[in-house]
Amino acid sequence: MDNVMLKSKDVTLLEILDRVLEKGVVISGDIVISVADVDLVYVGLKVLLSSVETMERLRGAPFAGAGEEPT
Amino acid sequence: MKIYTYGVIDSNSGIEDSNKGIEGAHVYNIPYRDISIAVSDLDERSQKKASSGYILKHEEVAERLMESFTVLPMRFFTIFKDKEAILSMMSEYYDSFNENLNRLRGKLEFGLKVIWSGNTIKKRIAENNTGQGQNEFLSNGSQAKNYVMQKLKKYKLDQQFKEEGHKYISIVNRFFSGFAVEEKLNILKSEGLLLTASYLVEKAKQDDFKQAFERLKKSGPNDLKYLFSGPWPPYNFINLTKSEFKKA
Repeated sequence: MDNVMLKSKDVTLLEILDRVLEKGVVISGDIVISVADVDLVYVGLKVLLSSVETMERLRGAPFAGAGEEPT
Repeated sequence: MKIYTYGVIDSNSGIEDSNKGIEGAHVYNIPYRDISIAVSDLDERSQKKASSGYILKHEEVAERLMESFTVLPMRFFTIFKDKEAILSMMSEYYDSFNENLNRLRGKLEFGLKVIWSGNTIKKRIAENNTGQGQNEFLSNGSQAKNYVMQKLKKYKLDQQFKEEGHKYISIVNRFFSGFAVEEKLNILKSEGLLLTASYLVEKAKQDDFKQAFERLKKSGPNDLKYLFSGPWPPYNFINLTKSEFKKA
């Protein structure tokens, strides 16, 4: 059961990353303070959880397929 | 003091959020005309500590806002140098914010990822093709011709692979289409990730939408794997344009 719990938590984080890092209201230009390190955070996290396929491969088991409620 | 932004909301009255934002800071809103933006102050020295914890916090605040308002979530780590900069941005995007808020009011986003064994399907197609075109291929001795044939073979394989993908997607999508107001489909982002879809769904129809997924799991193609998520703030359905005025 622990495995299943961890699974849905990882998956939720992946789904959050997909949205929060790339979508939403994107304001560009010099009005927004650019923080150099943030790009590295983006890259780091994306590498960590680069794709669903990778996650699935590492896990070696299919997704539960149940609805994931972000918390 | 820098200001961290979470999302634009369709109200200009003060928000009562006792929960904390990034770095435990108080979440409040800065009004502009009849809308406002939810923010928290950010310590000048803390900017280098952005982490996955921040990301979860950003999303958590956006979801709390979603309970009471229509929210246009900001992209993670959108920081302004002061209130004046925020007000200037709000005036620049006001019309577009309003248009988005009106369009997205009472709606939620759901996500669906569909995984298939792209590798196996590609192999299967290739095997079928080899059976058909082998004689023609072997009878041509010229190197240039062989090269062209190889290219053609690969092109044909890719096309068939995509067609096969589209077949599956149209079956999957049929389960949801009636319940979604808008949809964004990203097809074959990689060989194994057949579909990354976002659906915009009316709040009142969210249970119907979830049931559609249950039906898909039960009676959809059984060689696919699904990852269903939501409800989310409408990250994928924000279409932003600056108000029309020339910048110097």
